Amino acid sequence: MQQELEQWKEQISHLLNVANDYLREVPPNQLYAAAAIVVFTTLLLLSLRFLKRTKSNTIVLTGLSGSGKTVIFYQLRDGSTHQGTVTSMEPNEDTFILHGETTKKGKIKPVHIVDVPGHSRLRPKLDEYLPQAAGIVFVVDALDFLPNCRAASEYLYDLLTKGSVVRKKIPLLILCNKTDKVTAHTKEFIRRQLEKEIDKLRASRSAVSDADVTNEFTLGEPGEPFSFTQCSNTVTTADASGLTGEISQLEEFIREHVKP
Amino acid sequence: MLEQLLIFTRGGLILWSCKELGNALKGSPIDTLIRSCLLEERSGAASYNYDAPGASYSLKWTFHNDLGLVFVAVYQRILHLLYVDDLLAAVKREFSQVYDPTRTVYRDFDEIFKQLKIEAEARAEDLKKSNPVVVGGNRKQQATWQGDGSEGKKNGGGLKGEGGLKNDGGDGKKGNNNNNNNNKLENGRVNGSNLKSNGGNVSVNGKENDSSNNGAFDVNRLQKLRTKSANGKKATDNVVSKAEPKKAVKKNRVWDEKPPETKLDFTDHVDVDGGEDKDRKVDFLAKEQGESMMDKDEILSSDSEDEEDEDDDDAEKNSKPDAKKKGWFSSMFQSIAGKANLEKSDLEPALKALKDRLMTKNVAEEIAEKLCESVAASLEGKKLASFTRISSTVQAAMEEALVRILTPRRSIDILRDVHAAKEQRKPYVVVFVGVNGVGKSTNLAKVAYWLLQHNVKVMMAACDTFRSGAVEQLRTHARRLQIPIFEKGYEKDPAVVAKEAIQEASRNGSDVVLVDTAGRMQDNEPLMRALSKLIYLNNPDLVLFVGEALVGNDAVDQLSKFNQKLADLSTSPTPRLIDGILLTKFDTIDDKVGAALSMVYISGAPVMFVGCGQSYTDLKKLNVKSIVKTLLK
Repeated sequence: MQQELEQWKEQISHLLNVANDYLREVPPNQLYAAAAIVVFTTLLLLSLRFLKRTKSNTIVLTGLSGSGKTVIFYQLRDGSTHQGTVTSMEPNEDTFILHGETTKKGKIKPVHIVDVPGHSRLRPKLDEYLPQAAGIVFVVDALDFLPNCRAASEYLYDLLTKGSVVRKKIPLLILCNKTDKVTAHTKEFIRRQLEKEIDKLRASRSAVSDADVTNEFTLGEPGEPFSFTQCSNTVTTADASGLTGEISQLEEFIREHVKP
Repeated sequence: MLEQLLIFTRGGLILWSCKELGNALKGSPIDTLIRSCLLEERSGAASYNYDAPGASYSLKWTFHNDLGLVFVAVYQRILHLLYVDDLLAAVKREFSQVYDPTRTVYRDFDEIFKQLKIEAEARAEDLKKSNPVVVGGNRKQQATWQGDGSEGKKNGGGLKGEGGLKNDGGDGKKGNNNNNNNNKLENGRVNGSNLKSNGGNVSVNGKENDSSNNGAFDVNRLQKLRTKSANGKKATDNVVSKAEPKKAVKKNRVWDEKPPETKLDFTDHVDVDGGEDKDRKVDFLAKEQGESMMDKDEILSSDSEDEEDEDDDDAEKNSKPDAKKKGWFSSMFQSIAGKANLEKSDLEPALKALKDRLMTKNVAEEIAEKLCESVAASLEGKKLASFTRISSTVQAAMEEALVRILTPRRSIDILRDVHAAKEQRKPYVVVFVGVNGVGKSTNLAKVAYWLLQHNVKVMMAACDTFRSGAVEQLRTHARRLQIPIFEKGYEKDPAVVAKEAIQEASRNGSDVVLVDTAGRMQDNEPLMRALSKLIYLNNPDLVLFVGEALVGNDAVDQLSKFNQKLADLSTSPTPRLIDGILLTKFDTIDDKVGAALSMVYISGAPVMFVGCGQSYTDLKKLNVKSIVKTLLK
């Protein structure tokens, strides 16, 4: 061992000498230039990386199964629902320029939109997309809201307490879909109901938290009734209708968080 | 009559539906199919029955995994349409040729479909008239054509094209003729390799199964007539594989795809298994000494990354020998280049190993089988990415499937439900059911303790009026936890006792009533009837099945029978089934966590609690991630 080490040392010192000699031969001007180039390129690469990471252009569509995520996805992309949709088994994912903006002139940054299936068995998929999300759209069925209210608020609670969402303060939009129907609930009503439900959930979930490991953060301030304004990330509500293509508020939200 | 035929992506966009059929479907059979069948890892099944008010449909489906397409046919159940499988296969073949991911409208497919449908119907007509042997022949033809479409090298492309589809009789012979030419050469070897894969054959998915079965059988007959020289060889081989001649020959369809595998390979394969087994055992040992137990895993808030890495390494080690023995050069080349399309035969060895692994983890055989079928169905036809092995692809697919199964479908937040019931001013009733000696009373006490900790007023109801000492046992628990207990002694009808207990609870303001019932074997009809009555009479908020984690194959029987009996013996039109599972004795099983998977798969109900010790505090929630990890280790 010792001998080997010695040998190695010798070789290294020899190489160093050679390198030194070579460096001395090169004029210092060139040396500085080379060093400057190396430093500059690394800086450039690093800054590019950094910029890319901060300016994610991913928008994640979530919500319960049957709330109309896939329809909205295709409305955003193609401006049409084609021949309708069925329950998704896999996420839909695409990077494109919003259909409403294809007529606009100038360079527009395309948006990466992911439509994650709402079926409860497929929820773990969401975790793959959340860390890179610039915004989350939580789609709620405004027509059939009350029967699904508890399930929706549980999903929303889980979403709002996810570590990646809380830490990065990813903005969230509660999108009340199917508002073209007359009997649909208003977004104010839905917002209030969701807040109420989450308030109750807060009590029961914080009790479980010692056993349950998924929720690392608690919502809102203790002692006060919960409202979305207490969240560390901004939570807004909007109306939309996937079938008729009335999604301008959603497009506004997307453009707010993914700059063109 | 066919009601509807749909083509949609796995993402959920309908690409094409038959407008000409255009009947409005009653209810939403497609969504139900996806939610309760395809997403529950039951896609290996042959068909699905959908019942809606005023309609009962049968649905059949097939996947094109490489393109991510799903083809579903809907028809009235009373009509036994014979051509649906045929038609689906034909539609799949034709549509995959025109499919383009960027296109969303396929108007021109209407014409093709019309043609295909007429042909399929004509074939079905012929099929009715002619005798079963010819039936086989026709179907076989279908199967081989399908092969042609995708591979284009079998049979020299001799009988490709639409013309052949029409006159069945003549071409059928021709097809078989061509087949024979191939068969002559490879007869002996085919049978040899068949023998090897007897076990694997079962995992073929149902739909194409029977058609190719018949077909293969028929080919066999024809061969006997035509190629006598080959027969000698074959006969000797047949002696060996006589046990399952049908299944054995079915493999015919695939041999072309395989690199030349001779009988030598057969022994080789056994070797592989042996080697793997050893490897696995070693793995076990390592784990038994080094790894912490489940409980600890659960206490840790999140699994650390390096542990996962270790896991991957493990998996690699595990799968390495079986990749190596196959001929390292071809496998290496495959792994670098990425294989064109995964065939069922490629998946079989990996799936078999996976199935064995699941079974060593105490997963019921039936469940492991079904899971493997479903994973095979989801992978078949998919492209293997470069620098991946089949075994790792299969493993990843299985992991995904397991996570999906174990993720609860309904909320398991009992406290939330308790609070909701409190608002309605009625007690939340939980009934504990299960076979004898699984720990119902003990875990009832644990649940009571857990609820007490969260400021919920609990009351126990001793409805085990059957076994002597049961009431006293519960009374002891109640005294130690200082909670009220409702008891009426023995020889009383448990349903009535429970009823009175609930009334008492609403009177004294208890939030939760925990009802202890007598343990009963799933086959004991009188006791099951009593249980059904108890549940019907009291309409509890939660029926908790208590099962021990030690149980193996019996888990399936227990849960399915309990569910079935509850449904059959109930007098109400909408019977209550099991809502959740409490898994007991989880501390005694080390890494054999398969019972959790079996139970969840068979009942669809989530594991709500896990009992993992002797004291009141030993009640936990199931950690899906760690279970999946342990299962695939």
